[in-house]
Amino acid sequence: MCVLGISQQLYNNFIKDDRYMWLLEGLKNTLLITLLAVIIGIIIGFAVAIVRSSHDKNGSFGVLNAVFKIYLTVIRGTPTMIQLLIMNFVIFGSLSLDPVLVGGLAFGINSGAYVAEIVRSGIMSVDQGQFEAGRSLGLNYSQTMKSIVMPQAFKNVLPALVNEMIVLLKETSIVGYIGMMDLTKGAMLIQSRTYNAFLPLLAAALIYLILVMILTACMNKLERKLRTNER
Amino acid sequence: MSDNNILLEVQGLEKAFGDNKVLDGITTDIRQGEVVAVIGPSGSGKSTFLRSLNLLEVPTGGRILFEGTDITDPKVDINRHRQKIGMVFQQFNLFPNMTVKENIMLAPVKLKLMSQSEASKKADELLARVGLPEKADTYPEMLSGGQKQRIAIARALAMNPDVMLFDEPTSALDPEMVGEVLELMKELAQSGMTMVVVTHEMGFAKEVASRVIFIDEGKIQEENKPKEFFENPKNQRLRDFLSKVL
Repeated sequence: MCVLGISQQLYNNFIKDDRYMWLLEGLKNTLLITLLAVIIGIIIGFAVAIVRSSHDKNGSFGVLNAVFKIYLTVIRGTPTMIQLLIMNFVIFGSLSLDPVLVGGLAFGINSGAYVAEIVRSGIMSVDQGQFEAGRSLGLNYSQTMKSIVMPQAFKNVLPALVNEMIVLLKETSIVGYIGMMDLTKGAMLIQSRTYNAFLPLLAAALIYLILVMILTACMNKLERKLRTNER
Repeated sequence: MSDNNILLEVQGLEKAFGDNKVLDGITTDIRQGEVVAVIGPSGSGKSTFLRSLNLLEVPTGGRILFEGTDITDPKVDINRHRQKIGMVFQQFNLFPNMTVKENIMLAPVKLKLMSQSEASKKADELLARVGLPEKADTYPEMLSGGQKQRIAIARALAMNPDVMLFDEPTSALDPEMVGEVLELMKELAQSGMTMVVVTHEMGFAKEVASRVIFIDEGKIQEENKPKEFFENPKNQRLRDFLSKVL
């Protein structure tokens, strides 16, 4: 093999046979899985956090709280990769579901555990006096949580939630293991054709980086907006 | 409502945190239009007593009748009764993510007692009453301590309560701001509001209260009209306490 010029290499890796489409296709799947996982994670996370902190506050939801505690322990105590493989080969092993769905579900259930603890810490960070003020006005428990505690908790944990989203986005790069063509896998496919690792992987890395930077910028903007609300 | 216009009837109230008995059998009545000052050394149980009156602390013994209903009965809808028992906290507890006006309007609107426009009108009236009409759209963070407490009082008043509980309302304030809050409380008392005030402000107790209660070690050690209470204290603990604070 001879050393090709840089433009020749770019051509080989991205233009020839429309190879850039692998990256685009992969990017689409990465975004779809992340989006699905974020939605599932937020739903699970908030539900678990509300049940857990209600239990801490007034002893309600005994059974559900116990179940959720097991969920948190198992999910946080095992590698995401193993969870993904189990989801794909054990739980949905006999069904041939859309891998986007399987991946989204696996990452969503995984993320839910981390979101739950983030949100729970947010609820606990709201001063007890806020809760008492709501109750003293005659609001019931759930009205107080919904109108007074949760908005403040959410604001407190927003940076941590976006951070969890960023982690999730990057973590989806292992879905290649269940035969999913995501951004990472797309880059590897190009590499397998061109025998060039550097350019496709660099391109994938750049795309991840840009996505993360966009998320961070959105978060900063949102945070600023929420903060000016108090001035 | 029961006879003699008794609003709150406290019967043998007890509260224990584990082995620590904070309230040890408190019995007293709060009548319509009374202003009751509750004083006592720190740790005496006076705040716990006050917080029991709207069940922020759930008593471990005894009963509290509010307008004839035993609110310590678990079957009673405490939220409905709390709407009629306003509370003002030492730390104000204003909602930081809402404007002053939103703070005042929240409960009446959420509880569907007033429409948005009724609540807005009520809030404007109350803001005028507490002397802060220009702060309607300000966030609590921008207010001084005294202003915060006046807004907290307005927020409680928005529910048209039958009785107001004050938990050391001036203890977290800088000295120069105590006056404005006490002045407002005095006006409130003169307007006929029934009030129970846990306080360290002996001047307020003397001047505004119709009755003063001294709590120590979880019991009412003495209660009397302010003049008699301060000029001729009978209980030895009270005498010791007054000699320290006056």
